[in-house]
Amino acid sequence: MDLPIYLTGVLAGGALLILVAEAVSGGKAKKALPGYISLGTILVSIGLIFLTQISPAFSLTTSHSVFRNDLLGVFFSIVVLAVSALVAASSIDYVKTIGNSAAYNSLLLFTALGMVLLAFAADLLMIIVAWELMSLPTYMLTGFRKNDPDSTEASVKYFILGAFSTGVLLYAVSLVYLLAGSTNIATAVLALQELAPEFNPIAILAVSLLVAGFGLKMSVVPFHMWIPDAYEGAPPTVAALLSAATKKAAFAVAVRVFVVALPFFQLEWTTAFAILAVATMTLGNIAALTQKVISRMLAYSSIAQAGYILIGLAVAPYAQSTPIGLIGVLFHSFTHGVMQATAFIAVAAVSLRIAKPSLDSYNGLGLRMPVTAFTLTIALLGLAGVPPLNGFWSKLVLFSAAVEAGNAVWWGGWLALAGILNTGFSLGYYAWVIKRMYLDDPEEAGRLKESFGLTGVLVAAALIIIITGIFPAPIYEFAENASLAISSAATAVAPS
Amino acid sequence: MYMATEITPLTFATLTPWLVWFVPMLAAILIPLIAKAGDKVRDYFAVIFSLISALLAASLLPAALGGQVIHHQVNWIPSLKITAGVLADPLAVLMANVVAWISFLIMVYSLGYMKGEANLTRYWFFMNFFIGSMLLIVLSDNFLQLFFGWEGVGLASYGLISFWNRDEEKRWVGTPGHTAWGVPQAYSPTHAGMKAFVTTRIGDISFLIGILILYSVAGTFDFVHLAEDKQWASTLASMGLLIPVGILIFGGAIGKSAQFPLHEWLPDAMAGPTAVSALIHAATMVKAGVFLVARVGPIFFVAASSIGVTGFFEVIAWIGVITAFLAATQAMVAKEVKKVLAYSTVSQIGYMMLGMGVAGLAANFAAGYVAGFFHLTSHAIFKAALFMGAGALIHATGTKYMNEMGGLRKTMGITYISMLLAAAGLAGIPLFSGFWSKDAILGATLSAEHTASAIPLTILAAATVFITAFYTVRMIGMIFHGEPSHHIKEMEKNGHHLHEAPRVMWLPYAILAVATLAIGLAGPFYEGVLHSIAGSSLENVFGMHVVEEGFKVNPVALGISLIGVAVGAFPAYRYYIARTADPSSLVSRGFLASLYKFLENRWYIDAFYYRVFVYPVATFSTILFKVFETGVIDRISGSAASSSIVLSSVGNWIDVNVIDGFANGTAAAGTMFSRTARKIQSGIAEQYVFIFVVGIIIVILAVLTLR
Repeated sequence: MDLPIYLTGVLAGGALLILVAEAVSGGKAKKALPGYISLGTILVSIGLIFLTQISPAFSLTTSHSVFRNDLLGVFFSIVVLAVSALVAASSIDYVKTIGNSAAYNSLLLFTALGMVLLAFAADLLMIIVAWELMSLPTYMLTGFRKNDPDSTEASVKYFILGAFSTGVLLYAVSLVYLLAGSTNIATAVLALQELAPEFNPIAILAVSLLVAGFGLKMSVVPFHMWIPDAYEGAPPTVAALLSAATKKAAFAVAVRVFVVALPFFQLEWTTAFAILAVATMTLGNIAALTQKVISRMLAYSSIAQAGYILIGLAVAPYAQSTPIGLIGVLFHSFTHGVMQATAFIAVAAVSLRIAKPSLDSYNGLGLRMPVTAFTLTIALLGLAGVPPLNGFWSKLVLFSAAVEAGNAVWWGGWLALAGILNTGFSLGYYAWVIKRMYLDDPEEAGRLKESFGLTGVLVAAALIIIITGIFPAPIYEFAENASLAISSAATAVAPS
Repeated sequence: MYMATEITPLTFATLTPWLVWFVPMLAAILIPLIAKAGDKVRDYFAVIFSLISALLAASLLPAALGGQVIHHQVNWIPSLKITAGVLADPLAVLMANVVAWISFLIMVYSLGYMKGEANLTRYWFFMNFFIGSMLLIVLSDNFLQLFFGWEGVGLASYGLISFWNRDEEKRWVGTPGHTAWGVPQAYSPTHAGMKAFVTTRIGDISFLIGILILYSVAGTFDFVHLAEDKQWASTLASMGLLIPVGILIFGGAIGKSAQFPLHEWLPDAMAGPTAVSALIHAATMVKAGVFLVARVGPIFFVAASSIGVTGFFEVIAWIGVITAFLAATQAMVAKEVKKVLAYSTVSQIGYMMLGMGVAGLAANFAAGYVAGFFHLTSHAIFKAALFMGAGALIHATGTKYMNEMGGLRKTMGITYISMLLAAAGLAGIPLFSGFWSKDAILGATLSAEHTASAIPLTILAAATVFITAFYTVRMIGMIFHGEPSHHIKEMEKNGHHLHEAPRVMWLPYAILAVATLAIGLAGPFYEGVLHSIAGSSLENVFGMHVVEEGFKVNPVALGISLIGVAVGAFPAYRYYIARTADPSSLVSRGFLASLYKFLENRWYIDAFYYRVFVYPVATFSTILFKVFETGVIDRISGSAASSSIVLSSVGNWIDVNVIDGFANGTAAAGTMFSRTARKIQSGIAEQYVFIFVVGIIIVILAVLTLR
C-alpha cells in the first residue's frame, strides 16, 4: 500500500516545486532548471522503487484498498518512469525552442504520476481517476507548440477522442457496479461469476466498452485513428511519451482488468483479442509503409507494435507451466518503450536542426548527424526485431507463447505466423529509413550540430537497447516474477 | 557416452571458438573509429583482424582432427532454458577454417581491388561484420544463436551488394534493354541488394517458424540436447509435424543458399564488388544453407530413425538436383563472366544439397554427408579463385562481357594459369579437387537404397556434369583464347595497355588455384581424412553409428563423370578454344534458337516472380498510398500539407455542412483554434468518433459471435 503513496508524494511534490520555483524566481531562474527538477524527481522515484523492492515483503492479499502494491505495478511503473526520465532528459534541450519549460515539465510529472497510479490501481474508480490524471496533461503537452496549427489540431482531436473514451469507460464502470455492486476489481470479479445468465448482455456491453476505452490509449485498431495526427502534431518528445509510456500504462490496466477478470466471465474473448491483434499489427504495418513523414511512420509502427503485445494478451489464458504470454506482454512493453522513445527522441534531435523534416530530409543523415543517425538505426532495427537487440527477444517470447497456445486453440499457430510475417514485412519500412540515412545522398550537404544533451540521452537509450539485447535474462526474469504475481492473484480470487 | 554433451570448462582452449567469431565482430565495431587514424591504417587493421581470426581457427584444427569436441555453454535466459554456447566439433572447425582463411585471402585481395573507392569504411565494416556473423553460424551450439548469425550475414550481404549505392550504369548487372516477358533483365546494385534481402527473408521466416515449433515441443534450441533427448521427434510425428518442421527449417537453407525456388536473387547479387561476390556469394554465405543441413540432417536422421524421415531427405535431394540442373543450363548461355560463375555457384550448391539429401536416403549416412561436405570445401576454394580472377579481368579490361575479352592468355598469364587450374576443378577434370568430390556425390546418389528415385537423381546429376564441363570450357575459351576482341583492340589503340593484375590481387587467387590442384592430387587421402573426422563428429555429437569405410570409387559413377566431362568439354573446345566452328550460327534459328532464348531468360522464372509477386505488390502499395495520403481517406487522416489542399477544395462544402454538436462547442474555443475548428467541422473529428463507435460495435459483435 505504501509505494504508490510515496510515489504520489514525490512526483506531485516535484511538479509543484517546479511551479513554485518558477513563481518565486519570477521567471529569472535558469531556463533549464525545471527540466533538471523533473528529471531529478523521476530518478528519485525510480530509486525509491528499487529501495522498496529490496524488502521482499509484498502483500498479495486481495483487500478493499484502491491500490495493489505488487510486482506488476512495480514493473510497469519502472517502465513508464524510465521512459519519462528519457523524455525529461531530452526535453531539457528540446523545450528551449518552445519556451515555457516550467509548465511543460510540471505537466510531464503529472502525467508520470497518473501512469504510476494506473500501474498500481486495483479499483475501477481509481483507474478512472488515474486515467484522467495521466491524460489531461498530455492533451496540453500535445498542443504545446501553440503557434503551430498542426500541434493545436492534434491536441484538439486527441482531446475529443480522449474525452469520448473516458465517457465510455465511466459508463462501463457504472455497468460493472450495477452488476457487481463494487468497483474493486477483485470484489467485482467474485461477484460477477455468480451472475445470472440474463445479465450476460450487460456484461458483454461492459467488457466491450472497457476494451474500447482502454483500446484508445493502447492504440488498438479500430480505436487508433487519433494516433498519427497526434504524434505528428505533438512535439516529438511528447510523442515519445505518448507512444512509449502512456500506452504502456494502458496495457498495465488492461493486464490487471482483463487477465484477472475476463476468465471469470463465461465469454470467449480471447478470439476477439486475437482478431484485434492481427488487425492492429497488419493495418499498422501496411499504413506505415506508405508514410512520407517519419513521425507518422513511427505512429503506425507504434500501432503495429501494440498488435504484437495484444498477441500476448490473447494467448495469456492458454499458458501451461509459465505464464509466457503475460511475460511477453510485460517484456515487450519494456523493450518497445525504450525503442520507441529512442526513435522519437532521435526525431526530436533532427527536428531541432531541420525544420519540418520530411522523410527525404533523412537522406544522408549518417554523415550529417552521425550519432543521431546511428542511435536511430539501433532503435529501428530493434523495432524490426533484429537480433541481438532487445526487441528480438520480446517478440520471440510473444510468438513462442502463440505457438504454445496452438496446443489449446486452433488459431495459436496462425497468430504466431501472422506476427512473424508482420515482423518480416515491417523490416521493409524500417530498413528503408536506414537506407536513406546511410546510402542516399543528402538534399543539402554539411554537418549539423548535434545537441550535447540529446546525444547523451540517445546514446544511453541505445546502450539500453543493446545491453538488454545481449543480456535479456534479468528483464525477462523480472517480467516473469511480475507475471507470476498477477497470475497468482488471479488464482487467489478464483473459485476453489 | 557422447563427448559433446559434457560441457568443457572455460580455459583458453574453450575461449578460442568464442574469439574466432568475436574478433571480426570487434573489428567491425572498431573500424569507424580506426578510420579516423587514416585510410591505410583502417585497411590494414581490417585485414589483420581477419588474419587473427583465421589463425585462431587454425589453432582449433589439431584437436578437431583428433576427433575432440569443444563444447562450452553459458546461461543466457535461464528460465527459458536458452543458452549461448560454442560447439567446435570437427565439422564446425573444418568449416570455420575454410571460411576464415578464404575470408582472409579475399580481404587481402580487396586491398588491391577496392583501392581508390569511396566509402571504404562501410566496406570494411560490413566485410568484418560478415566474417564474424558467418563464423558465429558455424560455431553456434544452438539454433537461436545460429539464427543471430544468419540474420547478420543477410544484413551484410544486403549492405555489400548495394555497396555502389550511386547506381551508376556501369555497376548494373544484366544487359540493359534486355527484357523477358516484359520484365527488364538489368538491375541496379541497390535493387539487387533489396532483391537478395527480400528473397532470403522469405526463407528466414520459414526457418524461424520451424525452430519456434521445434522449441515449443522440445523446450530447447540446443543441437546436442536435440540429438540426445529424442522425445520431441515422436511428439512432432504424432502431431504430423515432423517432416513439415524439417522442411520449414530447410526453407531457411533454400533462401540463403539460393536453391530453387528462391534462387533468383544470386545471379543479380553480382552487382556487388567482385571481392564480395567471391566471399559472400560463392565461397561462404551461400554455403551456410548447406552447413545448416549438415547440422540439422544428422539430428533429424538420428532422432527420427525409428519413425522414418526419408520424405525430408527426399525433398532436400530433389531440390538440390533440380537447382543443379536448372542453374547449369543458364550458365551455358550467360554473357557476363560473373554471371556464369554465379549460375555455376547455384548449380554446384545444388550438388552439395543432393549429397546431404542422399545421405539420409542411404543406410550409410556418412557417404553422402562426407561427399556433400567435401564438395563444399573444394568448391569454396576453386570458386573463390575463379571469382577473384574474374575481378582482375574486369578490372583490367573494363568490361564484364566475355565476348568483349578474348585472347587474354598472352597478356595476363598468371591469371590465365590460375583460372585454368580452378576451372579444371569446377569442370571435374580428373586429378583436380572437383573431380573427386563430384564423383563422391554421384557415387552416394547411386547407392541411396532407401528411395525409388536414385536413378532419376543420378541422371539429372550426370547431365549437370556434362553441362558444367561445357560452360567451364566455354568461359575459359571466350576469355583467354582466340583473337582479342574489338573492345580490347580499341583499348590498345587508345593507349591502354593490358597488363597483369597487381600482386596483392593475383597472389590470393594463385594460392587458391594451387590449393585446388593440391587437394585434387591428394583427393583420395583428403576424402579419407574427411570421412574419419566427419564420422567422429557424427558419432560424438549425434551418437550415430558410422560404418568405417576406406576410400573407394564407385566405378559406375566414375564412368559417368568421365564420359560427362569429355562429352561436355569437346564441343566447347571446338567452338571456343580451337575455334574451328562458329557457335552463333547454331543458335540463330529453329529449336536451338528458342532454347537459347529460354535459357537466356532464366527459364522465365525471374520474370514470372516479378509479374506475379513484385508488380502486384507495387501496384497495391501505390493504390494504398493514394488512398491513405492523397485520396479519399485523406479527408480523415492527412498530413498537414495535403490536408490543407483538401481543405480548400472542400471549403465550399464545409460552409453548407456545418454540423452542430461538440464541433460547435470546440469552434467556440476561440479564434486561436479557428483553423483547427474548421477542420473539425469539415467532418474529420466526427468521422474519428464515428469509427470509434463502429469499433465498439465490432468488438461487441465479435464477442457475441465467437463465444
